[in-house]
Amino acid sequence: MSSYVPGLEGIVASQTAISMVDGQNGRLVYQGYVIADLAEEMSFEEVAFLLWEGRLPNRAELDALSIELANHRTLTKAANIALDALPADTDPMDVLRSVVSVQGVEHRLARPTIPLAIHATASFPTILAMFHRRQLGLEPIKPRADLGHAANYLYMMSGKESSPETVRALNTYLVLLADHGMNASTFTARVIASTESDLTSSLVGAIGALKGPAHGGAPSAVIEQLELIGAATDPETYMREMRKRKEKFMGFGHRVYRVYDPRAKILKEMCRRMNPKFYDLGVRVEEIALRILHEEHPERPQSTNVEFYSAGVLQAIGLPTEYFTPTFATARVAGWSAHVLEQAANNRIIRPQSQYIGPEPRKPVALAERK
Amino acid sequence: MVAAETAVSEVDGANGRLIYRGGYLIEDLVPVVGYEEAAYLLWNGELPNEKELDALRQRMAKARELNKAAKGALTAMDPTTDPMDILRTVVSAQGAAKTLTKPTLDEAVALTAVFPTIVGAIHRRRQGKEVVLPRGDLGHAANLLWMMTGEEPAADKVHWLDTYLVLLADHGLNASTFAARVVASTGSDLASCVVGAIAALKGPAHGGATLAARNMLDKIGSADNAERWLAEAHARHERFSGFGHRVYRTYDPRAKILREMAKTAAPELHETAAKTEEVALRILHEAHPDRPNATNVDFWASVVLTGAGIPKELFTTIFATSRVAGWTAHVLESLSDLRLIRPASRWVGPQPGKKPLQLAKR
Repeated sequence: MSSYVPGLEGIVASQTAISMVDGQNGRLVYQGYVIADLAEEMSFEEVAFLLWEGRLPNRAELDALSIELANHRTLTKAANIALDALPADTDPMDVLRSVVSVQGVEHRLARPTIPLAIHATASFPTILAMFHRRQLGLEPIKPRADLGHAANYLYMMSGKESSPETVRALNTYLVLLADHGMNASTFTARVIASTESDLTSSLVGAIGALKGPAHGGAPSAVIEQLELIGAATDPETYMREMRKRKEKFMGFGHRVYRVYDPRAKILKEMCRRMNPKFYDLGVRVEEIALRILHEEHPERPQSTNVEFYSAGVLQAIGLPTEYFTPTFATARVAGWSAHVLEQAANNRIIRPQSQYIGPEPRKPVALAERK
Repeated sequence: MVAAETAVSEVDGANGRLIYRGGYLIEDLVPVVGYEEAAYLLWNGELPNEKELDALRQRMAKARELNKAAKGALTAMDPTTDPMDILRTVVSAQGAAKTLTKPTLDEAVALTAVFPTIVGAIHRRRQGKEVVLPRGDLGHAANLLWMMTGEEPAADKVHWLDTYLVLLADHGLNASTFAARVVASTGSDLASCVVGAIAALKGPAHGGATLAARNMLDKIGSADNAERWLAEAHARHERFSGFGHRVYRTYDPRAKILREMAKTAAPELHETAAKTEEVALRILHEAHPDRPNATNVDFWASVVLTGAGIPKELFTTIFATSRVAGWTAHVLESLSDLRLIRPASRWVGPQPGKKPLQLAKR
């Protein structure tokens, strides 16, 4: 038997042509394209098409995809009722997990397909916006077919059309976060797909994984931590004390990147333009954090991860902090579904081994004789 | 590839042994323990004494009601929806919370307790009947049958179902358990882990296999027809449902127990199944003399569950009702040394650095 590899670190769990994280060189590649060449040029719709089909769409294909997305922005009756039954203070990630589960119910097991991926992707902004409006005690806003994916999400959240700059920023965020190799949520989706389960099941599992703070669940914590550090008289003293209390700096470190995360680089620049208040404090905190972390572990490559400046960008866009992780999911659903399609096309059940560390076989004692 | 260290259970495929936490062989446990005791063992590492077992039974009986969100989700769905989709959704709603909490044993007990309520309601709604309320004086298996039928369940049926629930409660690092552990590794909550596991169990290559086995038996119809049907299916290169397993190289110890039980639980179906098994194993051995071909647990489970009065459409949800004890035990175990499960992938796509063409030029 092979030996136990904690976290499966460095273990190749599957082959993929969807995205590649080149940690050594700080490159993220979607289907051959480096992320920096896509981020500010492409719409989320184009990138979703790229992830699903393996190539960029032409005009007619992009129009067809946009129409298909726009046509599937409405929730089913069952999804609406389930959404309304959830208490108004529910974590939006739990709302997303539950309502995506209802929205995708079926009567016969269907194989994952691109149309199903489109329908699921289209539903995420609607679910989040409807719940957000309900939390505020406001009427839901009907989706608008003439708006793109990012613009319509913001419109349904606020009831107003956002500025082109804001829409563009959200679009770039969605493109940047749409896929990222074999991360934990994507791997969850592929494990589920490997049992020949349906697409919705894979997506629901992936949402559950993304919720965890070690994965997607921490961007709001970046904001909270920055506020605390910003309020201190001397940020560096405060941050050194944090480390003495074994507190983690939010937004730093990554299993894969050994250099600056290419997405963080783009988000940092966006943050500079859009959220100077966050940016000014952010760069100071970043500098101090990297210095302290380097002092503690000079051997470890320490870098800022995508969460840190994401928080500043999403804040500038105007999204409430508890919607940061669900908005991450709104981007990543394109990647999850692409990976499910890839897994289904060449499937073998993912069933690793475990190492038994319990006692040697023994006989059970009858109930009445147990102490 | 070894993806986790575990003391919850061990599948010793070479020797055909399934060991539950504490070191107990499954065939030693089955005559001695019921489902609640098995769940207690998987969660705590020791069998309960009478007092501990009573306390667990009471806690479970009190936790059987669905909350408002879960009831809302349940009634929102068309009764004809795939039962696993309903289970996935209702468990998600039942576990929806305001803030993220670390999985606890209390939550594991409560979540396990609610599965029969959901499965019972699914069954009643499929039949167009009123949902039956849970009964606190009944054990886990008996209450499940009560909620399905609204009638006092027969002792033998309770025994067959309860034995099934004990046998299927855990099985090493299978795909659904692994899914639960991957979700847990991100620091997510228990409901997310269990929902992910239900999602994986739904797959025909995993939990759906019991239904597939029963469907095959239905197509065969009778012992007389087995020879002809299987030979024809084999000629069409169809896979025989209920045979073969990634791990066992000998007869699955759970299948052995269920095969014996099937004789009394469902004598008529047992006759067809026994003949089917004999013929299928012969054909498979002739085709692949090198492969260890054995009957898996799904094959005989489909017969025993039929005897217990479970309609085949609910088989996978009953599997989940059993396995939730194992899923939650694995999640709780993983918390003691939590590390993000993030494997690598091998790039097989185009050479990086390709420049994107502008839309108008594509």
